[in-house]
Amino acid sequence: MNFRMKLWVGTGALLSFAGGVALATGPAERPKAASLKTEPLPRHQVPVSKDGNLVVGMCDGQTSLEVKGVKEGESLTREQAQRVSDELMAAWHQKNPDATWDPPPATRVVAQAQKPPQKQPQPNPPMGTNQPSTGIGVREGGVTAESGGREVRKEAGANIQDGHSYGAFTPRDEAVWAASTQQFVEEGHRVFHDAAAVGGTIAVSCDMCHPDASNTHPETYPKYQVQLGRVALLRDMINWCIENPVRGKPLADGDPRMRAMEAYIYAQRKGVKLEYGKK
Amino acid sequence: MRTPWGVALSLAVLLWVHESHAAPEAQRSAPPPSPLPPGVSAVLWKLSVPESAAPTPERVALGEKLYNEKRLSLDDSVSCATCHDPAKGFTDHLPVSAGVKGQFGMRNSPTVLNALFNASQFWDGRAASLEDQAKLPILNPVEMAMPSPEAVVAKLKGIPEYVTAFQQVFKRDITYDDLAAAIAAFERTQFSGSARFDRFIHGETKALNESERRGWALFNGKARCNSCHAGNAVSPLFSDQKFHNIGVSAHKQDFPQLAREGLKIVRLGDEKQIDELALQTRFSELGRFLVTKQENDVGAFKTPTLRNVGITGPYMHDGTLATMWDVIDHYNKGGVANPFLDGGMQRLGLTEPEIDDLVAFLFTLTDERFTRLNGQELAKQRARKNKRPERDTAVAMGKKGNLGDLAPNPDLAVKNPADIGAYGTETLPKPASTKQP
Repeated sequence: MNFRMKLWVGTGALLSFAGGVALATGPAERPKAASLKTEPLPRHQVPVSKDGNLVVGMCDGQTSLEVKGVKEGESLTREQAQRVSDELMAAWHQKNPDATWDPPPATRVVAQAQKPPQKQPQPNPPMGTNQPSTGIGVREGGVTAESGGREVRKEAGANIQDGHSYGAFTPRDEAVWAASTQQFVEEGHRVFHDAAAVGGTIAVSCDMCHPDASNTHPETYPKYQVQLGRVALLRDMINWCIENPVRGKPLADGDPRMRAMEAYIYAQRKGVKLEYGKK
Repeated sequence: MRTPWGVALSLAVLLWVHESHAAPEAQRSAPPPSPLPPGVSAVLWKLSVPESAAPTPERVALGEKLYNEKRLSLDDSVSCATCHDPAKGFTDHLPVSAGVKGQFGMRNSPTVLNALFNASQFWDGRAASLEDQAKLPILNPVEMAMPSPEAVVAKLKGIPEYVTAFQQVFKRDITYDDLAAAIAAFERTQFSGSARFDRFIHGETKALNESERRGWALFNGKARCNSCHAGNAVSPLFSDQKFHNIGVSAHKQDFPQLAREGLKIVRLGDEKQIDELALQTRFSELGRFLVTKQENDVGAFKTPTLRNVGITGPYMHDGTLATMWDVIDHYNKGGVANPFLDGGMQRLGLTEPEIDDLVAFLFTLTDERFTRLNGQELAKQRARKNKRPERDTAVAMGKKGNLGDLAPNPDLAVKNPADIGAYGTETLPKPASTKQP
């Protein structure tokens, strides 16, 4: 850490301390509800370049890199952004030589396990079963709530559909669900790989540090996240990355892009045991 | 090392067993036509159109001719197009459809548009495919009233142009199956998905006006339409393809009594008799029950697609609701109570402006090639907006009856339920403002 950085970090710490004091000793008429208000997340204050160059921060909240030849306010090309990300990651690895770092998962995104095809797909209702029912096997004892209608149909070899609205799902329904989930995940894949789509201003996209969503560990959330100084949900961390390394605006909880990215990140870790919290 | 022959043999047997198991694979589907309109799903196409039923141009041409062929009916007066008129959104705009000799059936004719994507055909899902469906109205004594499939084939064989046409398309003499296959091929070309709504969902925020956007929010939120009429880009029909008793005909039926009588027939009668009951008598109102023979299907009918709903009225299986306002009124009061009412039915508490917004939204689901008709139908429905026999505001608002309480009315300015979820591959646009006037 050079002197300039120390100066910046020191100033930042001083300022936040002063802010904390100001909050704690604020006017007495401050409404009580204010104490329930979530404090703003800490920002990664990247140092300012002497030459006005762009300085990119890393997701650890500490490391940063000055990009020679690109001024603050300008955007990188995708290639430049990837090179910056790679260099930052290399710096992080150097600082944390013992950190475990997952290899990227298989790139194929599978949202929903595909069932093996049925031997004889039965349309529902079955085609051409207009045989007369035999009426055999119907219970005696008059009309009751369960008076044997199903048995009559079973005798006729029909594909019985249980219930008329819920719980009567066909292979067609399952195919539609699987395709819908897959599409949602693919939308997340798109946002994850596109700096503009996620709202980034300097061409850094999520995949540059997390190829194929590696090291996102969605199964460990909620957990205490050091950069944030608090327990975070996956979406909190996504938003922190969007705000800091990516230089975008945080997404609302219900934002379709946020939801799709969460779906993609979880899909990449399908089958991994849920183990929330940090070891 | 030499492989012992026993091992080799068992390996070979294993391989053979594996091969023979792999053989009966799932039915291959026909490749979807390209390009598909934005509101039509390639996934649904692949699920709905087996390779053997791919609509070839020759079959479609013959099918269209047969679709408009009145000679398929007993007295040469009715064709498929009579009840499913392409100029009227492939319906007849009548409450129940008219057959030969001025007879009327029991059911409202559903649109052919997008029918190829339905999981089952007819209001009660009696037919599994378009082919199965096409065969039945021709033989129905109220509809086209031909006495038998043989009679239809014999009649067609007397028309030389059809003899040669069938020879050319199917390379054999006319059969009833081939006739159905040709009609179904034509119907498989009748998909639609170029509605104003599709432009909106693909990012053109201004394609819908404020009222329509509020309607889309209500559709997904307070009005709970999406519990049964759910849609996304994979399944853009706005139908769950299931069967629900929403109490439409409980006005005129004593369901328990009707079900008791129906059960006796189900247990003693044969399928033909039951089908006749379904089509021609008051037992028609038993709906899905006559197909599944299960008590909880009494009075249940298929959730229809909402695509082109503006131009395919009047509504419900019996066509008793004339306008979309009537339909929303019906749901707003929680349907009509009966012992078989779907558990998802409850009063909605929609206000008059909210109903207007919802109706406005529903008219954006019409394909833009019917824009003019859509406008005419909307004007026609709006003209009778104050004549609404289904309206019961006191029940809808919970001031009368005991229909349970509602969830809090969502503040659309804070959170628009329609913003949640990715409908299409594109990011959902955020409506400019969802504030209520």
